[in-house]
Order: sequence, then structure tokens, then C-alpha cells
Amino acid sequence: MLDARERVTGRVPFTIDLVLPGMLHAKLLRSTSAHGRIVRIDTRRAAALPGVRAVLTGSDIVARGDIQPRFGPVLRDQPILALGKVRYVGEPLAAVAAVDEDTALAALDLIEVEVEDLPAVLDLDAALAEGAPLVHEEPPHPGPTFADVILHTGSGTNLCNQFRLRKGDVERGFADAVHVFEDVFTSPAVQHVPMETHACVAEWREGGLTVHATTQIPYLLRSQLAEVFRLPASRVRVIVPTLGGGYGAKCYPCIEPAAVALARVAGRPVRLVLTREEEFVTVTKHAVRIRMRTGLRADGTICARQVTAHFDTGAYADIGPRLIKNGGYGTGGPTDIPNVWIDSYAVYTNHPPAGAFRGYGISQAAWAYETQMDIMADALGVDPYQLRMRNLLSDGGTFATGERLEDCHFQELLTRVADRIGWDGAAAPVRSGSRARAKGLACIIKGTVTPSTSTAAARLDDDGSLAVVTSAVEMGQGAHTALAILAAEALAMPVDRVRVSHVDTDVTPYDQQTSSSRTTQAMGHAVTEAVVEIREQLLDRAADALEAARDDLVLADGSVHVRGVPSKGLGYGQVLRSSRTGSLLGSGRFQSAGGLDPETGQGIGAVHWHQAAGAAEVEVDLETGKVDVLRYEAAVYTGRTVNPAQVDLQAEGNVAFGVGQALFEELIYDGGQLQNGNLGDYLIASMADMPELGLTALEDPARREIHGIGETGLPPVMPAIANAVARAAGIRIRDLPLTPERVLAAIRARAADERDDAAPAPVPSAPAEPVGQT
Amino acid sequence: MTDPAPDLGPVLELSVRVNGRPERLRARAHHTLVEVLRDQLQLTSVREGCGVGMCGACTVLLDGLPVSGCLVLAPLADGREVVTVEGLSGADGALDPVQEAFIEATAFQCSFCTPGFVLAARALLDEAPDVSDEAIVEHLSGNLCRCGSYSRIRAAVGAARDGLAAEAVAT
Repeated sequence: MLDARERVTGRVPFTIDLVLPGMLHAKLLRSTSAHGRIVRIDTRRAAALPGVRAVLTGSDIVARGDIQPRFGPVLRDQPILALGKVRYVGEPLAAVAAVDEDTALAALDLIEVEVEDLPAVLDLDAALAEGAPLVHEEPPHPGPTFADVILHTGSGTNLCNQFRLRKGDVERGFADAVHVFEDVFTSPAVQHVPMETHACVAEWREGGLTVHATTQIPYLLRSQLAEVFRLPASRVRVIVPTLGGGYGAKCYPCIEPAAVALARVAGRPVRLVLTREEEFVTVTKHAVRIRMRTGLRADGTICARQVTAHFDTGAYADIGPRLIKNGGYGTGGPTDIPNVWIDSYAVYTNHPPAGAFRGYGISQAAWAYETQMDIMADALGVDPYQLRMRNLLSDGGTFATGERLEDCHFQELLTRVADRIGWDGAAAPVRSGSRARAKGLACIIKGTVTPSTSTAAARLDDDGSLAVVTSAVEMGQGAHTALAILAAEALAMPVDRVRVSHVDTDVTPYDQQTSSSRTTQAMGHAVTEAVVEIREQLLDRAADALEAARDDLVLADGSVHVRGVPSKGLGYGQVLRSSRTGSLLGSGRFQSAGGLDPETGQGIGAVHWHQAAGAAEVEVDLETGKVDVLRYEAAVYTGRTVNPAQVDLQAEGNVAFGVGQALFEELIYDGGQLQNGNLGDYLIASMADMPELGLTALEDPARREIHGIGETGLPPVMPAIANAVARAAGIRIRDLPLTPERVLAAIRARAADERDDAAPAPVPSAPAEPVGQT
Repeated sequence: MTDPAPDLGPVLELSVRVNGRPERLRARAHHTLVEVLRDQLQLTSVREGCGVGMCGACTVLLDGLPVSGCLVLAPLADGREVVTVEGLSGADGALDPVQEAFIEATAFQCSFCTPGFVLAARALLDEAPDVSDEAIVEHLSGNLCRCGSYSRIRAAVGAARDGLAAEAVAT
């Protein structure tokens, strides 16, 4: 990484390190009710406390008249501070800014709150029931943020949005099917747990606003704050240093409007940093229930699929209305299915808001289709590897969105991990005492946000160094290093002479988002284009300086020379100095096109498709239900690997995320109150949880198109592990995570079934005996 | 009507040796070592990740032993010696062998957790220069890296161990 030395010495600056003169410290008072009417909030004692500089409630904000009280990336449904009602336990009700954190906390204790509890909707069934209490009585107001959002919002129900996909004739498809399987799969809410929680420092200066924030999407934060505080966007300056992890948590505004409002009232800079406990109730991964019906022909090829997917988007929409599109079409899987019918819904509940999470709906979709793939293989007595190979997309096949895919490597990826793990479809589990060992597979497809736009600037200075200026956020994924490598390549210069800017929207040009595994490809394209512009100008000036024809010049290692005469080279800086050029400037743009039909979900879902496979070997303790992942083989299509070390790191990070989500990560609520919102009770993978790892980055040297890998490797991990557990223990679990309790219960249920002579005749969707096992 | 200023308890004067230098610090009884090191000495490598001693991001060496700075009340450090990652580098800016090994192995992503890992590893190698690979995993499983750079961290610590051992033989 470019700034490795700063990182190992702890000197790389994070948002939490920023100290401004006169800076105040903010704290939020949060709701203890999952759903309630605000009867009264009295902040007078808090406001009078010495050291307190500002206290705000939702109605204070409305009363000012100069702040739009609600925000949200798709629907403007989230109040800066609760208005009229509270909708989840942990929702901010009031905000305090004081001279130090101790005083701010003491002030929170002096705020008197009276909330009258209302009936809450605490799961999908309750939210969808007829006559259910409404999380939002009024349909929320949409904003124009994203080109690719499809809205079918309802009113009078808790349905936040719906996505529909209709390909072929699903009824006819099922009529053609010889085998039909129907299963319901669930995956729970989890939290991103970036080691750095959300942080923000807001400062009003000279009629404008400056916000230092932990955001992955600076230009969206800028436009949202401009809208809320009624400023031209150019008067909002968003500055983003490196992030201590993001994983989707830091995509959309959450705490920033409250910090900005406090700074406005107090007339001083305000710092707001969430505690770990607050982070847990700020944004989550959608809990999802997917009903999947799949029909196969006699030859094992899939001819029809019908899916109903419900995403628990929590009390506020965040990006849920857009995410259900990806999570919806994603259930088609990497399979050419002629007849597909998908309904996917974002549902409001009285849970904390769910938003973007590494995988963006595809982890939930893949949990369903890759688990069902093994269920079908088991029931049909077919090797799950072979059943996949028969169905995986190859060049010229069509995805659920109807688009013809090229550049397909699914079969190669699956075969690679199967070979490396030593796959044998007929292998019985290996028993050792109470432990059973077996292997499992999975393969997935994932889009990247389309259409999308990135712009970049570059500047070659007369010391021969190159500055790359973009709004791409570095959050540990190595984006800045990858951009530096691409820039250095395009100008044939050493990478250590390239600097990559951090984000400052006063200076760095537009980027749509640092997410969707798009930066190396999309921003990389824009940066390369900017540097190529510089190269052309440099060649012109070098031709003059060297008195040579432009076509005879060669750029290498930061110098330009006449072909065949490397000894008479000029450094880039010398070329600029001798021609009194000052700096050379270049600009570049990436812009993709596409989109889906709002009624049929047909069209262009992604400018290209991300592809990954995984194979797990697990050991299940049949007496305790504990699962150990012994080995994991990950294969991801990179097209062209820009930075091999970073590809390894991202791949391993995906496995760490996946092991946690497969085995133990789950937000547990009771009456809407989160029960495990701290790192004592909510476990994430440690070094001791990691399997022995094998990583394959598959390139296509002919095509050389960069494919992002930030998320691609994650969705296969959970089904690959669960498929291995199913083979090892002879059980089939359709609900994540595979906790020891859940595994043990399934083992006992199976034993009870086996003892019961009067067992009912097996139905196709029931967990079948794994092939080749005793 | 107006409440008095919040009674946060008396401010205590502390003498702590931090990264080899004597420092005078001020803290109330409830302030943690993380708070005073960050706020009064600008030692921003000490980062709170969880506040309950589970993630190791705020690891510092207290009298040579790794502790979670979020769990140590600042007054308990009075008269003792604290080392943060800022104190590992030599006066000439030379890095500790553990830090060098982290760079060599690219054993980090976002690096928010890195100072904690470096100090935990440093303490481990001080205590057990010939620590086994398995014991490295066991010792460092108290530090969390959400980016999941674990195999490279393990490799870096192993390489630092081997490098220090080779150096010890040579001298």
C-alpha cells in the first residue's frame, strides 16, 4: 500500500483524530421505545447546564424553518432527530453539543422524555399482516438521487418498495419441469462492524458548510446536506480522510445532519463520534426471507424459477428500495433460466435501518439459490458439482434480466475450487470420533452499479511527480494504491512518484460512489484517461525538447528518450522545466449505461458481471453442533489483477466476513431492543476462526478488463460452508447462521426421524439423505 | 432552576512515563488511558474500537505488558510506564522489526487495528522469542481485524520472530 509506513506507525489520520479550535463534542439521546408517539421532550435543564452550547430536538429543527427536517438517499423518510414518533430502539431523539463529552453526557441525563408506546411491527409477518400498525402513516417523499432506482411504493401498508422481474413464461416453465423444489431461506440482520465507527466533524464557515466525515459516497453526502440545509451544493465541502473500514456501512447519511444542525445552532465546530453500541443501531444488513421455487427438466437443467423475497429494511428506507432490485434479480443466480418470475420487497419494520452491506443483496440471494442447488442435487442423487456445471452460465447465455452474457468464467471458477479442495461428489463424510468432515461448493454472480459515473483529474508537476485527484475513498480496500498503479502504468513512471488525493469536494471531482466493487474498474478507467491526456501533451513537449519526431519517442521509468538512444533521456520534470510548462493537466471520465425496465426487470443490470466460487471443508462435532471451517478455497474473476497483494487481502476479508455470517453473526432483538449490540456479545471472526485459505485470482489475458473484487468473494462463503455441513452431518439448515444450537437441533431432529418408523413419505423439498453417506 | 455544573469528580494529577518520557497528565477517576493519551498527548495511534476490551484496537504496553487502554482507568497508570506504537520507532525514525514485517507482508488493510496488533505482537515476541505459529494465532486472537488481514498478520509476526532470532544468533 502507498502509505504503508504511516499505517504501521499509527500516523495515518482518521476522522476521529481531527481537532478544530473551539470544537464542541456531541452526544445523542436515543429512543428506548421501538414504536411510540412522542408526548413531550423537555430539554430546558440540559440547555441550562454549564458547558452546554446547543440542544436540539426534531421539533426544534422544524421550528427554525431553515432546515429540511428529513433526509434519505432514495426516500426522504428519516428525520434528523425523531419527529412526532420514534420508530426503533436507538433512534436519535435529541442532540447535545457541549465543551466536552463528559458534559454532553451529563446533559443527556437531564433531558426529560415522555413517549407513549404504540404497537410495533417486529418481524416481516407482523409488518405484512392485514391491519398491521404502520411504521410510516404517510407515503415518504422520493428524491432524485439515483438514475437506477425503480420505485413502486405503496401507501397504507408497510411495503416500502417492490421490484418485479418477468422473464419468459414461468407457468409454462413449471409445466415443463419434471422436478419442482420449493424452499424458504432466511438470513438475519448483521452489522458491518468497521473498527472505526461513524464519525463526523461539522463546521460552518463564511456562509458555507465543511464536513469531515466517514463516508464512502462524498458527493451524495454533499447533495443531501445541501438539500437539508438549503445551500447550493458548491457551498457544502465534504472532506474524507482514509476510513477505518466501510463495507457498505458508510454509504449513506445517518449522523451527519444532526452534527451539522448542532454546529449551526452552536456557531462552533461540532464533533460527533459513535460508540460501538450506537454503531450497532445505526445501519445493518437486511434480514431477508426468500421463498424459492425451482423447476428442473429431466436432464437436470433449470427451466423455471419463481421467487418471493422480503427484505426487512427497518424503520427508514436508507438504500433498501434500491437494494431489493439487486437482491431480487440476484436470485436468478449464475444460471441460464428461460422462465423467471421474481417479486422482491423492501418492508418497513420497527428495527434499525438496514442499508448497503458488502454483497449488496447478493449474499442473501446466493444463500437461497446455492443452498437449494445442493438440496436439489441431494434429492435427485446427483453430484452437486455436476448439477452446477450443467446449469452455470456460459458465453451467450442469458441472465434473469434477459441480457446476454459474455466473459463468463463460472464453470472455470467452480472447477478450480473443486479441484483445489479435492472434490469428490461420491465421498462419504470422514468420521473421527464424534466429528464428521465433509466439503461443500458454491458459485455466484454479482452485478456492479449501472449506470454509473466517475471523473478524475491528474497533474504532472515539474519535479516529475504525478498527482491523481479523485473522490474515490480509501477505506483499506487499497483503492488509492490501485489507482496509483494504473496511473503509473499509463505514464510509464515509478509508482512511488504518484500521489493520490484524499477526498475534498471543493477540489476533487465527481464520483458516484466508492462501493459496488467498482472503483478500480470505473475510477481506474477515468484516471487512465486523464493520464493519457497528460502523456499526449508530454510527448509534444518532449519532441520539441529532444528535437525528435513524436513517433520516435519512448516513455520509460519516468523519462522520455528517442527510440534506440536510451542514454539521451530527459526526465518528465526536465521536459516540463525546459519548456516552462509548469504543470500538465488531464481529465478523464467513466460513464456506463444501462438499466432495467420497471415492470419486467429486463434490460442491462450491470455493465459487466462479477463472478466467484468457493469450496469449504468443515468439521462438525455431532455431539455439540460446533462447526469448524478447516479449509476454504476461494476463486474470483479479476479479469486483470492490478495489485495481487490487495486481491489476496480482499479475498481473505471476504472469507472472514463469510465465516462469521455462516456460523455466528446475527443481531438478536427482543421487543425491538437489540440484545447483543457490543463486541462482547456480538462476535466477529478472529484469527483463530480462520480456515486454511487458498485463493485464486482468475485473469483473462486476452480481454484484460478489470473486475472489482471487494465483495465478489463473499456470497459463496455461507452456502459453501452450509453445504459442507449438510454433507458432514446429514442435516439441512435453511436459516443462517449455523450456530451450534441450530446444528445440534437439526442433528437431533434427524436422529428422531430415523427412530420413527412411521416417518412420512419424503417430499422433494424435504431435507434428503446426502448422497453416498451412511 | 439551573442545575449546577455536572459533578464529575476531582481532577487527579498523574505522573506517567509515556514512550520513554516523563509526562504530567490530568484525569478524572472515570477517564480511561485511551482518552488521556489521545486528548492530552495526541497519541492518535491509540484507537478505541469497542470500549469493552474485546477488540484490542487500543492495546498499549503498560509496564511492558499489553493491556486494553479502554479498560485501564487513567489514574491506575500513575507512576507506571506506557508504550504506544509512536514509541516503538527509534529516535532516527527506524521502525521496529514487527512494523517492518507488517510492511513487508502488507499485513493490513484499513489499518485502524494495526497499532494494537503491532504492540500485542511485540509483547508476545518479548515474552516468547521462539513462540510457535499456533501460539501466535492463540495470542493474537484477542485482537480483531474486520478487514480480515489475518493470514498476513500471522505471517508478519512469524517473520519478525524469525528475523529477531537470526539477529540474536548473529550478535
